[in-house]
Amino acid sequence: MSGSLLEVRDLVVRYGPVVAVDHVSFDLSAGETLALVGPSGCGKSSTAAAVLRLRRPDAGEVRFEGRELTGLDERALRPLRPAMQPVFQDPYGSLSPRRTIRDAVAEPLRVQGRWDAATGPARVAELLALVGLDEAAHGGRRPHELSGGQCQRAGIARALACEPRLLVLDEPVSALDPSVRAGILNLLSDLQERFALGYLFICHEPALVRHFADRTAEMRAGRIERIGP
Amino acid sequence: MSGATAEGSARHGLRRTAAGLRRGAADLTRTVGSVRPGTAGADRAPRGGRGGGHGTRRWVPGGGRVARAAGTVGALGVVLAVVGLLPWLSGRDPALTVLRARSAEQEATPEALDAIRADLGLDAGPVTPPVRWAAGLLRGDLGTSWVSGTDVLPSVVTGLRVSLGLMGAALTVALIVAVALAAPVLVRGRGTSGAFAAMLAAVPEFLLATVVLIVAGVWLGLLPTSGWQGPAHLVGPAVALGVPAGGLLGRLVADALPAVLGERWVELWRGAGVSPARVALAALRRALPPLVPQFGMVAVGLTGGAVAVETVFAVPGIGRTALGAATSQDLPLLQGAVLALLALGLAVGALAALVRRRLLGPALRDAGLTLPAAPARRVAPAVPAALAAVLAAVIGWGLLRDPYTVDAAARLAAPSPAHPLGADGLGRDVLARLGHGAAATVGTAVAVCALSWLVAVALGFVPRLTSGLSDIANALPPVIAGILVAAVLGPGTDGAALAVALISWPPLAAHAAALVQEVRASGFLLAQKAIGAIPGWILWRHVLPSVAGPVARHAALRLPGMALALASLGFLGLGARPPAPEWGLLLEESRAYVERAPWAALAPALALALLAGLAVALSAAARPTRTTRRSPHGG
Repeated sequence: MSGSLLEVRDLVVRYGPVVAVDHVSFDLSAGETLALVGPSGCGKSSTAAAVLRLRRPDAGEVRFEGRELTGLDERALRPLRPAMQPVFQDPYGSLSPRRTIRDAVAEPLRVQGRWDAATGPARVAELLALVGLDEAAHGGRRPHELSGGQCQRAGIARALACEPRLLVLDEPVSALDPSVRAGILNLLSDLQERFALGYLFICHEPALVRHFADRTAEMRAGRIERIGP
Repeated sequence: MSGATAEGSARHGLRRTAAGLRRGAADLTRTVGSVRPGTAGADRAPRGGRGGGHGTRRWVPGGGRVARAAGTVGALGVVLAVVGLLPWLSGRDPALTVLRARSAEQEATPEALDAIRADLGLDAGPVTPPVRWAAGLLRGDLGTSWVSGTDVLPSVVTGLRVSLGLMGAALTVALIVAVALAAPVLVRGRGTSGAFAAMLAAVPEFLLATVVLIVAGVWLGLLPTSGWQGPAHLVGPAVALGVPAGGLLGRLVADALPAVLGERWVELWRGAGVSPARVALAALRRALPPLVPQFGMVAVGLTGGAVAVETVFAVPGIGRTALGAATSQDLPLLQGAVLALLALGLAVGALAALVRRRLLGPALRDAGLTLPAAPARRVAPAVPAALAAVLAAVIGWGLLRDPYTVDAAARLAAPSPAHPLGADGLGRDVLARLGHGAAATVGTAVAVCALSWLVAVALGFVPRLTSGLSDIANALPPVIAGILVAAVLGPGTDGAALAVALISWPPLAAHAAALVQEVRASGFLLAQKAIGAIPGWILWRHVLPSVAGPVARHAALRLPGMALALASLGFLGLGARPPAPEWGLLLEESRAYVERAPWAALAPALALALLAGLAVALSAAARPTRTTRRSPHGG
């Protein structure tokens, strides 16, 4: 299993007395999509948060590209964070309502010290084009001036700006219209092919993942009951 | 009709989805149940999530109530400590004042002053006197007045008895006004604009008292203008004190009723043939309990208003006693009087809580009895704009003139081309003093406002501290704060500004704390963390901008209210000193000549009324802004 992008072993997340994630284990390779499906409240999003270390797990191991993350403190984790990016369910809530799309996509470059005044704007335009947005038409808008699908695309562009190898997609299309969903799912497939991204795809509708995922893990009450194609 | 309903419900559905989405994103970090149940429960309750988390919801209100009670007790402790430490806090030597007050002839030799200091216990340091005072308090001994040398307790009891009578009468007036304001809503079944009630609630007591005094007392001769001899003496002060309180009460009820009358059960009852009177009664019973805690504000307002009204009508009540003690630096008497005022406010507040418990019964335990949100009321922006324009024109004109030149020939002159608003008792131009006074009052208010904003944004990040301190601020009317500060610093513009700042920042800080919490829980901050942003970047680039702007707008909307508070302190002699042209002070100075030169009093009174109107119009205009800010999804 040394070739795995992500290895999760016996992950436990507790909220007080409630065990939200109960000894969950799975692997994910580069270029692969693992869907995590289950009813609401079964611990899918808690698993995602723990994998991304947006929440510290109570027990277990998360190895990303062979490196153990759970023992690292915030400072040691920071340089590793760009490689694993989240895409959230709420397209509007995951972008700052006060910033333009252009700023939002440029922000990871600035934060990570990769911003260059000469090439930066072109890089932002390139990223926006990657997700099917036009810099001139959409770059100057704020999230609430975009449709849900466009906004989710901007969120994906922002994640791509980090040059990630793993995307944790937390119900990325659940908030969108069925007609828009297909577009986003196609975009995600194209991007996966192009950059060999690993996807941890969280979803509560099994029908949605059937074609999209390579493997599916069914979660119930904090446990993975079955993993299979 | 059906189309509109469908659209409405569709929009409602959308909003619910949006709320669900936001919650979903927030769930990534937010602890769901027992770790921070206060926030989780509070978030959930208004969204009508009855299904989830009954276990947590049950103890949320209990925990909140305990914290709230602890906060109130703590707040009371802080105020008591300040009152007890007053003689030491003031840091000045009152020995000379006391000497002069006791015997005008005695020579102010160092020995005599030392003797007085020893007598007053001023040489004992910061610890002994408050401890001695607290110990005396437990025995029912409030100490001895520095000025008159008599026991404080009898003066306080006498004043309290008068004030209680006055407040009883004022409450009666308030009740009549409130019923008059709420009755049309009940009868017609839909809301009124509420502008009139808001206007009544915003008129400061000292202004209303002066107007009642001028109109009913001086011009019409219907009421005695001062003193406390019989029922006739009760009417003026009771009206001045009761009408603003009634305006506030009536507005609260009239605001809540339309939403209650729009609830399903009302339709059902009407359909079943229940009489309109019974429906109205039931609607009142539904609307009142959640409002009762807010009635505590009325109690606080009454204690503060009592100081002003008793002063205007020369009623020998506890408020006037407190004010007199503050201006003459008679600290033991001030301690006793402020204590009595606070106790009065607390007692009425406790009574309100008791009434609420009786009305609600077991529903209180579930905290499930929230009122439907009052429909947002829009005020045409033209109203505040027009008020501001009139004020600005008058002020601008006045600023061009000289407020200090004394023209003896023009003493109390009627309005004329030379003096468009007449002249005051010293022959100074009223218009000029009005304009320059605005610069002083509003200028100070702007400074206070900016300071409050800074403190609020800084402390918004420490919500625990903020909630405790805002309890103190809510329990302290500006006048009492002004009295306390004046007792420490001596009366003056700085002291008045400090007093207003002290009670202005906590509501702003509470707003800031709510915003900080909202931003911190939002998904895009998580995304920040995920891209590897350091906490400083997140704070500076994302949290601060989302907090500073809205709180600044909130602060700006409170500006006229702050100016009014400053004016009321000036009026009571706790703020700006003569000959400064401050609005409250202008009104105070011109009261003496009101029979001969009513225009000198009417000009500042009208200006203050305009300011009050501006405050109301702005606060109403503020509401839609706040709702759009609440929803990050915009249109």
